[in-house]
Amino acid sequence: MGRHPNIEVLTYTEVDSVEGEAGDFKVTLIKKPRYIIESKCTGCTTCVEYCPVKYPDQYNQEISDNKAVHVYFAQAIPLITYIDESCLYLKEKKCRICEAVCKNNAIDFNQKLEKVEVNVGAIILSSGLEPFDPKVKEEYRYGQFVNVVTSMDYERLLCATGPYQGEILRASDMKHPHKVAWLQCVGSRRVTPGENSYCSAVCCTYTQKQVILTKEHDAEAECTVFHNDIRSYGKDFERFYERAENLPGVRFFRSYVSIVKENPETQSVTIRYSTPDEGVKEEEFDMVVLSVGLNPPADVQGLANKFGIELNAHGFCKAIPSNPMETTRPGIFVSGAFQGPTDIPESVFTASAAGSQCGELLDYRRGELSKERIYPPERDVSQEEPRIGVFVCHCGANIGRIVGVPSTVEYALTLPNVVYAQEQLFSCATNSAQQISDLTKEKGLNRVVIAACSPRTLEPLFRDTLREAGINQYYLDMANIREHCSWVHAKEKEEATQKAKDIIRMSVARVCRLKPLQEFDLPVNKTALVVGGGIAGMTCALSIAKQGHEVYLVEKDADLGGTARRIHSTLDGMDVQAYLRDLVRKIYQHPLIHVYTDATIPEATGYVGNFVTKVKSDRGVTEIKHGAAVIAIGADEYKPTEYLYGKDDRVMTNLELEEQIAQGEERVMNAQSLVMIQCVGCRNEDRNYCARICCSNSVKNALKLKEINPRMDITILFRDMRTYGFSEDYYREASNKDVKFIRYEPQDKPQVEAVEEEGRRILRVTVTDYILGKKLAIDADLLSLAAAVIPSAGNKEMSLLFKVSLGPDDWFKEAHVKLRPVEFGTDGVYLCGIAHYPKHIPEAINQAYGAAGRVLTLLSHDTVTASGSVCEVDEDKCISCGACITVCTYGAIEFYDTPQGRKATVNPVLCKGDGLCNSVCPTAAISLKHFADEELLSQIDAAVGDF
Amino acid sequence: METVAPYKEIIDAIKASGGDAFKRCFQCGLCDVVCPWNRVRAFSMRKLIREATFGLTDIESEEMWRCTTCGRCPQQCPRDVQQIESGVSLRRIATEYGVFPASVKPIRTISGSLVGEGNPLNEERKKRADWADGLSVKAFTEGMEILYFPCCYLCYDPRLKKVARATANILNMAGVDFGILGAKENCCGESIRKTGDEDVFKRLAKENIKTFIDHGVKKILVSSPHCYHTFKNEYPEFMVNFEVVHISQYLFQLIHEGRLELNNEYGKKVTWHDPCYLGRHNGIYDEPREVLKRVPGLALIEMPESRVDSLCCGGGGGRIWMETPKGERFSDLRLEQAVGVGAEVLVTSCPYCITNFEDSRLNRENSEAIEIKDITEIIGEVI
Amino acid sequence: MEKELEKIEDQVRKSLADNLRKGFADRNFGDVLVVGGGISGIQAALDLGAAGFKVYLVEKAPSIGGHMAQLDKTFPTNDCSM
Repeated sequence: MGRHPNIEVLTYTEVDSVEGEAGDFKVTLIKKPRYIIESKCTGCTTCVEYCPVKYPDQYNQEISDNKAVHVYFAQAIPLITYIDESCLYLKEKKCRICEAVCKNNAIDFNQKLEKVEVNVGAIILSSGLEPFDPKVKEEYRYGQFVNVVTSMDYERLLCATGPYQGEILRASDMKHPHKVAWLQCVGSRRVTPGENSYCSAVCCTYTQKQVILTKEHDAEAECTVFHNDIRSYGKDFERFYERAENLPGVRFFRSYVSIVKENPETQSVTIRYSTPDEGVKEEEFDMVVLSVGLNPPADVQGLANKFGIELNAHGFCKAIPSNPMETTRPGIFVSGAFQGPTDIPESVFTASAAGSQCGELLDYRRGELSKERIYPPERDVSQEEPRIGVFVCHCGANIGRIVGVPSTVEYALTLPNVVYAQEQLFSCATNSAQQISDLTKEKGLNRVVIAACSPRTLEPLFRDTLREAGINQYYLDMANIREHCSWVHAKEKEEATQKAKDIIRMSVARVCRLKPLQEFDLPVNKTALVVGGGIAGMTCALSIAKQGHEVYLVEKDADLGGTARRIHSTLDGMDVQAYLRDLVRKIYQHPLIHVYTDATIPEATGYVGNFVTKVKSDRGVTEIKHGAAVIAIGADEYKPTEYLYGKDDRVMTNLELEEQIAQGEERVMNAQSLVMIQCVGCRNEDRNYCARICCSNSVKNALKLKEINPRMDITILFRDMRTYGFSEDYYREASNKDVKFIRYEPQDKPQVEAVEEEGRRILRVTVTDYILGKKLAIDADLLSLAAAVIPSAGNKEMSLLFKVSLGPDDWFKEAHVKLRPVEFGTDGVYLCGIAHYPKHIPEAINQAYGAAGRVLTLLSHDTVTASGSVCEVDEDKCISCGACITVCTYGAIEFYDTPQGRKATVNPVLCKGDGLCNSVCPTAAISLKHFADEELLSQIDAAVGDF
Repeated sequence: METVAPYKEIIDAIKASGGDAFKRCFQCGLCDVVCPWNRVRAFSMRKLIREATFGLTDIESEEMWRCTTCGRCPQQCPRDVQQIESGVSLRRIATEYGVFPASVKPIRTISGSLVGEGNPLNEERKKRADWADGLSVKAFTEGMEILYFPCCYLCYDPRLKKVARATANILNMAGVDFGILGAKENCCGESIRKTGDEDVFKRLAKENIKTFIDHGVKKILVSSPHCYHTFKNEYPEFMVNFEVVHISQYLFQLIHEGRLELNNEYGKKVTWHDPCYLGRHNGIYDEPREVLKRVPGLALIEMPESRVDSLCCGGGGGRIWMETPKGERFSDLRLEQAVGVGAEVLVTSCPYCITNFEDSRLNRENSEAIEIKDITEIIGEVI
Repeated sequence: MEKELEKIEDQVRKSLADNLRKGFADRNFGDVLVVGGGISGIQAALDLGAAGFKVYLVEKAPSIGGHMAQLDKTFPTNDCSM
C-alpha cells in the first residue's frame, strides 16, 4: 500500500465538502495537524518514551494507556507518530519535551488545520462501520461491571499487540478468566430503543473465532455462547461452527440472557439464562463478552449531507438491489460495510466492484495520471560468499506464544553464513519490511530468510522487499514456522521451538544454494472470456466490455439468464425478470460482447494473459484467444429424496413454489395451509454447509403468499433462521403477518405423511416444538422444501479445463477466502456468482462487478510478469524419451532438433513450475529452477545432518 | 411425547381479545430470564406465549394469572411481544367464560364490589372520604388548583389511611389549593382491567371521567402509580386528557418552588423502592430520589436491583387480590434486599407495594429490623 | 571558482524545488477519491491503482487499516488481520 506509485494516502484527513459532478468532482479535504512533520519522522518513538502524558489508548479499546504523542498502532501506515489533544503543550502550553528529544526535528507545534483541494472523477465511499455501543442500554452493564467487555475489547485482549501483549486478562485482577460467556445479538435483532432491528451478520462467526482462540490461549478454558440462532451462512462457516462447538468445554445455549450481578469480592459476573426444560438458571462467569453488532459509521447523517447521498432506514447507504455499489448521487459509489453489515470477503469484492464501476465511468482517462514503480538496480552478488540475514516473526502471538522466538534468533546466528538475525513482531508490517530492506543494504546481506508463515500469501511482499534492497528477489526463502510449527504444535512449546530451529536451519542451507533468477514480461491479450451467462456472468461481462475490452460470453443453455430465470423477486422487491430482460438486451446490444449459447468448452489451454479456449456451439468450434477468464457457471438445486418429494405432487422445492406463485397456479393460490421445511439437503453429513439463501427465500415466498392470500396458514420449520443482515426485518415482518416458525433439531426431523381426513386430502407434518415440549401436527395442502443450492455438475470438468481448484464441498475455491475472494490461485482466472457459493442476487451482482474489477487490473496492462521459477533441460543428459512431455498438463515442453539429436525444451511462458516433469525424467535432465536438486538436497541434509 | 394440533378458533379468539402480538415471539427466552417469578418458582412466559401462538392455551390453568405486569419483559423483549397486553387477552377470555382457578376466585367478589361500591375492598361508598375526618380537606370545586385522588386503599385501608392523611397535611402546609371528590369517585380501574375485566374497567373509567368533567377537574394529584398510569395512559382512550401528577413528582415540585421547607432531621438509612408503574411504566425514577436526598440527615442507599431493574413487589396485574403462597412472594425478597444493603427504612410510594411489604415485614422473624414508609410519611415528619 | 560551484548548486537546488512544487500542483489531480482506509477502501485503492488510475485514499484516523487492524485474526483461516 505504502509503496504504490498511484496511490496517495492521506491519513488524519477528512472530507470537508464535495462539489461538481461525476467525472469532475472538486473535493475539499481537511488535514488535521499531526504536529509531526511526516517527511522527517522516522517512527523511532523516542518522543513516545519521553512523553509524560498517559491517556487511554483508543486502538486498544481504552483498556491500556498510551502517550499523547504516539504511533497509532505498531503496524500503522504511515508508521509515524502523531500528537493528540491530550498533549500538555496543546492544552496548557507546557512541556515540549518531545521537541527536545526528537533528533530529526520532526515535531512542529505550529502545524494548523490544512485545507487541500483535490479534483477527481469519481468517489468511493468505504466509510465502514461503527461497533454498537452497549452503553446505550443499562442492562448490558458495560462500563459498570469491569469484567463485562465488548467483542472488540476482547479482540484486543487476544492480540499480541493488545493491552496485555496477547494475554487474556481481567482488568479487575489481572488474572486469566477461566469461564467466559459470549452474549450474542447485543445491539442486533432487537426492536428495543437504541438497538438495531437488523442482524449484524458477522457476530456469530467472530464469536466462534474468539472461542477457538480462547481455547488456544488456554485449553482448559470453559466457553459458553448464548444465542438464539447461529448464523453460519458463509462459505466454510458451518464447518467452523462445528469445530468450535465440538471443542471440549464449549457450550452453545439458545437463550438471550440478563446480566444480573457482579460478585463484590471477585468481580465475576452472574448471568441468568433460560432453558426449555429446566427453567431459568443462574451461572457465574469470570468474564462476559458482549458480541456487539455493527452500526453505520459515526455521524452518518453528516457524511450523507457532505456527499449529497441518501441513506436507508437503518442509516446505511441507500442502494438499489440491482446495483448495490451505486449511491443516489452519480459518480459516487459505495463499498464495504457502509452498504450494510457485511463480512470481510464482501468488503473486499464490493471494493473491486466499486472500482470496476469507477472504471466504466472513467475509462477514457485511464493511464493518464498513473505511474510505474521504479526499483533500484540489482546488485551482482554472484562472486560474494553468502551473507544471510534471518528474520524471525512473532506473527503477533501466533508464533511467539508457542515458539521461543528469541532463542531461535540466537540459534540462527550460530548457523554458517548467517551474519545477522533478529526478531520482528510482524515481519509483514510496513516498518518491518522496510527494516529488512534497510538492514540488507546496511549489513551487506545477499540472502534473506524470513521465518514466519507460509509463502502462499506473503512471499510476493518479501520478494518485493529484496528488490527494494537491490537484491535479486529469488535470494529469499520463507521458513514456515507458523502453519508447519506453532499452529500444529500448540501444546508442545519446547518441541515446537526445536522444530522452528530445524526449519530455519533447513532454510538457511537452502538459501545458500539459491540462484538469482530473472522474471520476464508476457504480453496480455486484452480480451476476456466469461463462462456462464447467468446474472453474475452477464453483469461481469458487461462491466468488462464497458471498459473497452472485448468479451466472449459462453452459456451452456439456449438462453441467457441461468438460475435467475426461475426467480421472480427478491426480498427487497427487485423485479428479477424485468432486470434480467434488460440485462440480456444490454448484453446483445453491446458491440464488444460476443455471445455463444448452447455452447460447451471442449478445450482450454494457455496461461495468464494468453489463454486459448475452444468453444463448441451451433456455429461450430470457435477458438478464442483471451487474457483473462471468468468462471460464473452457477449452481444447481438439490433434488430432494426426503419428505415425499417426487412421490406426492403436493411436495415441491422453494424454486418450484416460486414459479407456481408467479404463474398464479390455482392450487397454490387457494391453499389453506402451506408448510415449508428448511435445510433440505444441506447442513448434513453429505453437504456440510449452509446454503445461505433458503431462509430468506422461504420468508420471501411466505410474504408473497400472505400478500396474495392473507388467510393462508403458513408454517416454516427451521433449524436456525439465517435471515442475516437487513433480511431480519423481513423475518420479523413474516411473523407479524402470522407466518408461524417452528424450530426442529436435526436428530428429530419433521415427519410427513399423506392422509385423508373428513374427505380432505392433506399432508400431515409432525414436528416437535421444544418450547411446548409437544409434537405439533400441522395439516398442510402443500409442502415446500428449501432444497439446498448444490455445486453445479459441471464444476469438476471446469476445474480441470482451467486448472483451478475446488473446495471440500465442491464449490470453486478462491485464492484466499478473505483477501482474494473473486480470483483463483491460477493467475488470470476469476470467479463470481453462485459457482463460488450460494448467494442472493444483489450479492452475486456485487461479486460480478468485483470480478470485473479484478479482471481490469490484469487487462489494463500490456504485459504481465511471469515467474522465474520454471523448468529447464540439461540437454547433455536428455535422452529424448518424452516422458516429461507426456506428463506436462500445460503443454510447456516439446522436442526440438539439435546437432546432438532431438532434445526436450521448455517454453518458460507455459511452464507453471509444478515440477511434475522433474519426477518422471529418468536421467534427471529436467529441473525446476529455484527448486533444483542441490537446493532441496541441501535443505534435507540440513534436516537430517548431525547438527 | 404428546401430539397436538394447532387450534385455529382459539388463536382467533386470542387475537380478537388483544393478543395479536404473541405472533411476533421468536422464543429467545429473555422474558423468562428477567421474570421475577423465576426467582421464587418456575414460570415460563415464553411457554405461555408459545401455547397462545398455537391456540393451545389451557384456559383453566393458573399460569396466565401469574403475571404481575411488572413490565420487565416487555421492556427488554427484542420482538415487541407486548407481554402485558397479550397476557391480558388470555385473562379476558377466561373472564368471559367465567373460568377462574382457586387462587383467582376472589376476583369475582372484587368486581362485584367495584361495580357496587366503586372500590375493591367491599367498603361502603359513602365512607370514602372518612380518612380525612379532622383534617381540613375540602371537597373539590371548579377552579381549585388540583384534585387529590387518593386511591381506594388510601381511603379505606387502616395502614394506608395514614398515607392519605400525611399527604393532605403536606398539601395544607404548602398552601396548595386542593380538594377531594370523596364518595363521588370510583376506583381508577387499572388493576381490574389487568385481570381481563374490560367491562368493569370501562364502567369505572367512564363514571370517573364524567365526574371529573362535571367538576371541572383539570389537574389530578395521585398517590398510587396505578391511578397515575391509567389516568395518564389509558383514560385518553376515551378521548380525554387530564394533567396527572404523582405525589413524588409533586413533592419535588413543591420543594423546588420553595413552597415546602424540610427543616427537621431524619437521621436514618433509607432505600427507595421503584414501584413498577412509577418507574418502568412511566419513567419516574429521579424525582422521589431527589426529594429524599433533600431531607436533612437522611442517607439514601440503593438496592442492587433499582430503577429499570427494580424488583416487583408482586401486587400488580390484579395479583394484589390473589393469594400468593408463602415462599413465592416477591416482596419477601425485596425486603431482604433492603435489609441487605443496611436500610432502616424501605420507602416507596405505591399502596400495593406498601401493603405487600408490610405483610412481608410482619411475617419476618425480626420485623423491627426495618420500617416501611410512604414518601409522604417521611416528608410529613420533617416539615 | 568555488563560488561559481555554489551558484550552480543553488540553481540545481532551485530547479529541484520548482519541480517539487510542480509535483505538488499535479498531485491535486486524481481519478478517484476513496474515502475510508479500512479493508474495503484499501482494496478499492489497490485495484484502481493497478488498473491505471491515480487514487487518493483519505482516512480520518492517523493510520489506515480501519477496524480490521484491530482484529486479532480472521476466521476461518485464522490468518492474522494485518
